Amino acid sequence: MQYLSIKKEEWDKTIEQLLLSYTIFAAEENEFGIDYEVVEPSNIGKISYNRAKPATSLKTFFLPVKENVTTDPSVTKQRIILGAPNCDLQGLKILDEIYLDKDFNDLFYRKRRENTILISIDCFEKQQHCHCTSYGIKPWSTDCADMTAILIEDLIILRLITPHGEDFIKQFSLVQALKDEKIIASIEKAQKTTESLLSETNKGLPDYKTTGRIVKEAGSDIWKKYSAHCVSCGACATICPTCSCFLLIDKPGFEKIKQLDACQYPGFERTAGGGDPLFELPERFRNRYMCKYAWKPEKFKSTACTGCGRCIEACIGKINKNELFMELVK
Amino acid sequence: MLNGKNIYRPIKARLTDVIDESPLIKTFVLIPELEFSFMTGQFIELSVDGIGEAPFTPSSSPHITDKLEVTVMKTGYVTEIMHSLKPGAFMGIRGPFGRGYPVEKFYGKEVIILGGGCGLAPIRSLLYALEHVKDKLEKVVLCYGSKTPSDCVYKPLFTRLNKIEKFEAYRTVDKPDEDWDGSVGVVTTLLNKISINLKNSVAVVCGPPIMMKFGTIRFLEMGYKDDQIYLSMEKNMSCGLGKCGHCMMGEFFVCKDGPVFTYNELKNTPDIWK
Repeated sequence: MQYLSIKKEEWDKTIEQLLLSYTIFAAEENEFGIDYEVVEPSNIGKISYNRAKPATSLKTFFLPVKENVTTDPSVTKQRIILGAPNCDLQGLKILDEIYLDKDFNDLFYRKRRENTILISIDCFEKQQHCHCTSYGIKPWSTDCADMTAILIEDLIILRLITPHGEDFIKQFSLVQALKDEKIIASIEKAQKTTESLLSETNKGLPDYKTTGRIVKEAGSDIWKKYSAHCVSCGACATICPTCSCFLLIDKPGFEKIKQLDACQYPGFERTAGGGDPLFELPERFRNRYMCKYAWKPEKFKSTACTGCGRCIEACIGKINKNELFMELVK
Repeated sequence: MLNGKNIYRPIKARLTDVIDESPLIKTFVLIPELEFSFMTGQFIELSVDGIGEAPFTPSSSPHITDKLEVTVMKTGYVTEIMHSLKPGAFMGIRGPFGRGYPVEKFYGKEVIILGGGCGLAPIRSLLYALEHVKDKLEKVVLCYGSKTPSDCVYKPLFTRLNKIEKFEAYRTVDKPDEDWDGSVGVVTTLLNKISINLKNSVAVVCGPPIMMKFGTIRFLEMGYKDDQIYLSMEKNMSCGLGKCGHCMMGEFFVCKDGPVFTYNELKNTPDIWK
């Protein structure tokens, strides 16, 4: 993989220039943690590098909470998203499988994917509930993004991933090939340190395939126990980088509004005949795990849980799915 | 992309006739503004402008392409407004979606159809399709049950079917009225009255979930193999595109992988009758 470098000062100036032709979103630290912000000349210096995931998942940029899908998708300014962690990038794979499938290609999703340059970050730290490595995902990206930006002292190191990324970077004359092997070695060391930390803190957590098996085999008691604190708010699904269920709402003129939905809301599967397979809360609660670990793996090549841990962080009932899995695997 | 166009946008269809089938069921005759065709057993999303849409399997022949008929039971908010529509109104159609009945696989065989309640709507379309190829079939038997005689839709259909060579049609009701002189009891009892060449037969089941469950159990008891039984599943099909997740049943999106499945495909999927 090709590495390039540019002085951080020059990189910041480059971003300012890019604002003339691109809308840029970047992960920045705020009073609550790290989240994406719209980049303006005044906050370029606040962009965070080498940090763990932003609070919002990457899917938000491709699947808005609400949009009219019966109008023509408007052509907007090209976008750059800087700061995507690998868990979210891997989550895009299953969204691509669902929304760009050969039979029914979602024009709105496709336009946004084509219109976006993705610059990832390497996670040189972990947050409390991060567990990507348990599901075979590295805390750094080698695919899905166009390139990665890493801050090492006063340099931004760019790891080129796609031809699209290579073309994009050609317009920056101050970018040079990275020849210092020590810097590459220090990046690799930091990657491995995070990977080891993730593995150590999630020791005993079953892998993705095992989770699928134990979830399938689990009796009803465990779902009753853990769903006792669920209030069906749907926060877990809303914040998840791979949950993408939606509702179509009709508006006059035969227009359709596509709005993100969640299987944790009552009535999600209710039929006109009165049937509702997910009427009972423990069933609804179980459904989300069956979907992610048992059913989606049967249907799609990509993983449906990338171990970002946001569902644990977002749960107001303090439900920790990993504690559930650890209890099941005992 | 579907027809190379926006997959979410409906096409408009003019309502030309509304047929009263029973106190709660009406058939809507629609002429789509754009070319539209479907395969029997596939479904459409039918919408009332600005109100909502719901999935229905057309009840008309797939070989008639200039219009289509959709039979709708008044059962909720959207269908109640549909029932108030008059000829001249415009409705929206998206689709057709999913996998219908594999009629060509029925060639050379007996087709035994078990239907209940409003499940006769998709079955009527299938019967039209089978009539179209009757020379290639051994025989077609319809066993249909409704709660009461007045709940039965398409009453003239039974007389007509019994006049078609190779076709037989039987009815039963749960609760007879004074004028009823036919069978009384659950629909599976009709299967005792017919002769079946089991090895050369397929079974089709379409109706309310409880009837689907016991119909399938009865066919299995009779000796039908899992892949000889075809089920038309009813789930909350919303987008029709295998994306919105509302009709997920185990690993299947009913809207895209179904709605017609063999029992063999579903037998290991939990909660299929819910």
